[in-house]
Amino acid sequence: MYRIRFHGRGGQGMKTASRILGSAFFLSGFEVQDAPRYGAERRGAPIFAFVRAGRAAILERGNIDRPDLVVVADDTLVAIPGAGVLAGLHADSVLLLVTTVPADDWQQRLNTTGTVLTLPPPGGSERDPALLSALCAGAAARLTGAIEREALIRAVDEELALYPADTIAANRAGALAGFDALAVAAGRVGESGAVAADGYDAPDWIDLPADGVGLAAPTIHAGATSVEVRTGLWRTMRPVIDLEKCHRCTWVCGTFCPDGVIGVDAERYPVIDYDHCKGCMICLAQCPTHAIAAITERQGREADIAAEGEQA
Amino acid sequence: MKEPMYKSARDLPSAHLLGAGTAMCAGCGGLEVVREAYDVLGENTVFVNAAGCMTLMSVYPFTPFRGSWLYTAMASAPAGAQGVRDALDIRRAKGELEAGDDLEVVVLTGDGAGYGMGLSATSAAIDRGLDFLYLCYDNEGYGNTGQQTSPATPHGARTATDGALAGVAGEKKDLFGIWVANRPTYAATVVGSEPLDLARKVARAKSRSGPRLILALAPCPTGWGFEPSETVAIGHLAVRTGIWPLKEYVDGRVEHTRRPHPRLPVTDYLKTQARFAHLFEPEPNEQVLAEIQASVDAYWDAVE
Repeated sequence: MYRIRFHGRGGQGMKTASRILGSAFFLSGFEVQDAPRYGAERRGAPIFAFVRAGRAAILERGNIDRPDLVVVADDTLVAIPGAGVLAGLHADSVLLLVTTVPADDWQQRLNTTGTVLTLPPPGGSERDPALLSALCAGAAARLTGAIEREALIRAVDEELALYPADTIAANRAGALAGFDALAVAAGRVGESGAVAADGYDAPDWIDLPADGVGLAAPTIHAGATSVEVRTGLWRTMRPVIDLEKCHRCTWVCGTFCPDGVIGVDAERYPVIDYDHCKGCMICLAQCPTHAIAAITERQGREADIAAEGEQA
Repeated sequence: MKEPMYKSARDLPSAHLLGAGTAMCAGCGGLEVVREAYDVLGENTVFVNAAGCMTLMSVYPFTPFRGSWLYTAMASAPAGAQGVRDALDIRRAKGELEAGDDLEVVVLTGDGAGYGMGLSATSAAIDRGLDFLYLCYDNEGYGNTGQQTSPATPHGARTATDGALAGVAGEKKDLFGIWVANRPTYAATVVGSEPLDLARKVARAKSRSGPRLILALAPCPTGWGFEPSETVAIGHLAVRTGIWPLKEYVDGRVEHTRRPHPRLPVTDYLKTQARFAHLFEPEPNEQVLAEIQASVDAYWDAVE
């Protein structure tokens, strides 16, 4: 049975990718399960979707803990523990990253001897989630070697039947781009056998004696403790203020920001709290002087590193 | 109690009470309203939250509020508010709580609870003259669970449960009208994209006691299908097309605080959202579009 796990951010289409791949497997004669993990899915948050495909009835249920293939649509997730991108990879697993960083670099960064493959983002841009999902589905299909082009195209058509024709055509092209890009690695992902219940690893937790409620769940008296949650990690695009164009009408951006993360500095200029900004871009859309631009998080991070270098 | 003055947008608070780091979606129109309202309500506010999207506001040990938050089942937030109000009143009577330390009790509810399940408890609370403020963020569906149809979903919108070509057959319920029929001390409609109007109304509500409604349209990128950056623009269009009238009920009369002139065609608003896309593609559904325009026209004809 193939066990495939997709990772992306809410809005990047990983649920759709898993459905396209699941349907493509089904049309190729497999028994299939495909499902996203249900939680509090929202734009930018880490999303998981799972596909199982086998030639016999699938009795396994739930999350995939030991994947044969992990597809990561957004490489910024690798560093986020909660995204669990690397969880359960085994010696024969394949890790496919959509990234501009070469596979060798990833192999060193992750200190792994396992197979790491990479795909450039569609059109060099992270802004087109529709194509990203089709690309990932097409690439995964080719890596299994068990799906033909025709089945992939039919799966795209069936899953996107409610969408306009040009959306379907773009997704077909995206799926085929992924499918063709990985021709060199066709069939690299293998099936792994059934795992008997007694073959599962014991959970790696430590048993602790239960504490009293007062100790385990103390009363919180402080206000606004939510600031400890770094929702800035959700962002794929970053708003950047050009202070030369800014007219300091901070009651506009500062009031419309749903999360209240635009403050005012001593000179009355707006300041964005990037630890919490979710990247909704309402500030950009509403700024009367067009002083706010959007850059990708990757560009933002590179700029941060360069700025730190200058300071040091 | 004296109302604070909000003469222009410059008077709006530049430091915010509501903490960042909540789990609300990027671009959430409901969060925008709660944040704007909380700045006017102030720290001495206790929220009684009916289950909904904002269940995720305060997940132990993290809270964006400066004070307490009580979580209730969908239908029972006004009953929770009664209990909190009673407890505060008893402490006041015993001399345990100074007047300056009293709290404003605010029900925070979505439209699923506000327009539907919670209506009976709300009606009873108004009948009892409960001193509370009822803040409803209306995103026109059960947003937290994937945008199923609620009694607030507008005619023609496609939802997770009304996926047929024409969308929802019914009409959006008039919660403001229901409140007015109950003769509360105050009721108003607001939207986060009109923060000055909102601040004035919340301040007016706060200056009174008894049952008070603030009903907020909450554009929902996830449930309505638009880019999160468009939340404010869509709020503006809801007002300028006349779809979301801004009004208040005060001293027994309903007054409109904004009369859009000229009113933009409703299609300017509908076109911005995927939930109405089936009314335009593959070919325009002239009948449903005309029905929506006619109902907006009829509303404003009656007003003017």
